[in-house]
Amino acid sequence: MRVLVVYCHPCAESFNAAVKETVLSTLEGAGHEIRLIDLYAKEFDPAMSAEERRGYHEPDSNVQPVAEHVDAINWCEMIVFVYPTWWFGLPAMLKGWFDRVWVPHVTFEMPTERSGMKPKMQHIKKIAVVTTCGATWLVSKYVGEPGRRTILRGMRALCATNCRTLYLAHYKMDSSTPESRSRYLAKIRHRLGKF
Amino acid sequence: MRVLVLFSHPVETSFGAALHERVLIALKKAGHEVDDCDLYAEGFDPRLTREERLGYHDLETNQANVKGYVDRVLAADALVIVTPVWNFGHPAILKGFFDRVFLPGVSFKMKNGKVAPSLHNIRKLAVVTTYGGTRLRAFLVGDPPRKIATRVLRAVIKPAAPVKYHALYDMNRVTEDQRKAFMDKVGTSLEAF
Repeated sequence: MRVLVVYCHPCAESFNAAVKETVLSTLEGAGHEIRLIDLYAKEFDPAMSAEERRGYHEPDSNVQPVAEHVDAINWCEMIVFVYPTWWFGLPAMLKGWFDRVWVPHVTFEMPTERSGMKPKMQHIKKIAVVTTCGATWLVSKYVGEPGRRTILRGMRALCATNCRTLYLAHYKMDSSTPESRSRYLAKIRHRLGKF
Repeated sequence: MRVLVLFSHPVETSFGAALHERVLIALKKAGHEVDDCDLYAEGFDPRLTREERLGYHDLETNQANVKGYVDRVLAADALVIVTPVWNFGHPAILKGFFDRVFLPGVSFKMKNGKVAPSLHNIRKLAVVTTYGGTRLRAFLVGDPPRKIATRVLRAVIKPAAPVKYHALYDMNRVTEDQRKAFMDKVGTSLEAF
């Protein structure tokens, strides 16, 4: 499959970087064709500007500021997100990538009086989230996992009707050990390899 | 009370900007001292940097890049957030405010690897927001931005502090009358804040 990996962490020496490397090697091992977007390395600007917001609903011109990203989401059949969960959600950098890149007419048609929103990303058949959380599993569940839901329910609704999802998380990162981290990487290899 | 208003919308002619104006008027009418933080107008950069991430837990230095914002958060008695919901989450510029400013030593303390919320100076929270999606879709998605307010922020501020969540859904199809009714509801509620 054609797989887009969207990676978001500011530090090259972070555990998330190791997660990204594991994700890439696992996908390569499974014979996928891969494109990587490293948002921090690209110095992506996540704040949608006033000009973009004003032109948000204009077909064609609304993709211009983010053309290469739109090209990537139109190209892929599967997306894998690698990011740390901060404040139970996506880092601003990644949230802004959705805000600016997943524009109307490309990813969905606006609702009208007679019909609801129409999704247009049916070529995306699989979405995986591979993340790390400071919180425990229980607290994450209690809060309702806003980050997970933003992607795997909110954005998934724009993809194929039967789009499959995978969610992997290392909880309690602040008390992680070399063993827990290596177990998590092994889990990624196993679960993503099968996905 | 001293109220910090966090506003995030880039367009000055938007309905969001009109809500922001209404909120400011209502709070001032109620006699509050208002600190208006317009994140776009102030050019806030929502990206947590490499340097900030590496020094995140260093209580001596982690506030350095955002000291002005930290001081404003800590000086406030109440917080009012005015924002649209985009893609079932907060706009990046607002999410980044939490990432960069709600630091250890500001909104929580780390005790033996556990998080202890500490933003107890905030005794009231209100959110004024608009969704493109319908209320049903938001419910099915799990309404992540509502949970950030009613579960995450609620847990960070003073225990048992009141939290108000004002939301207008299905923004692309609501009528002029519905918008006006929402505006009035927000105004009335915040005059009594």
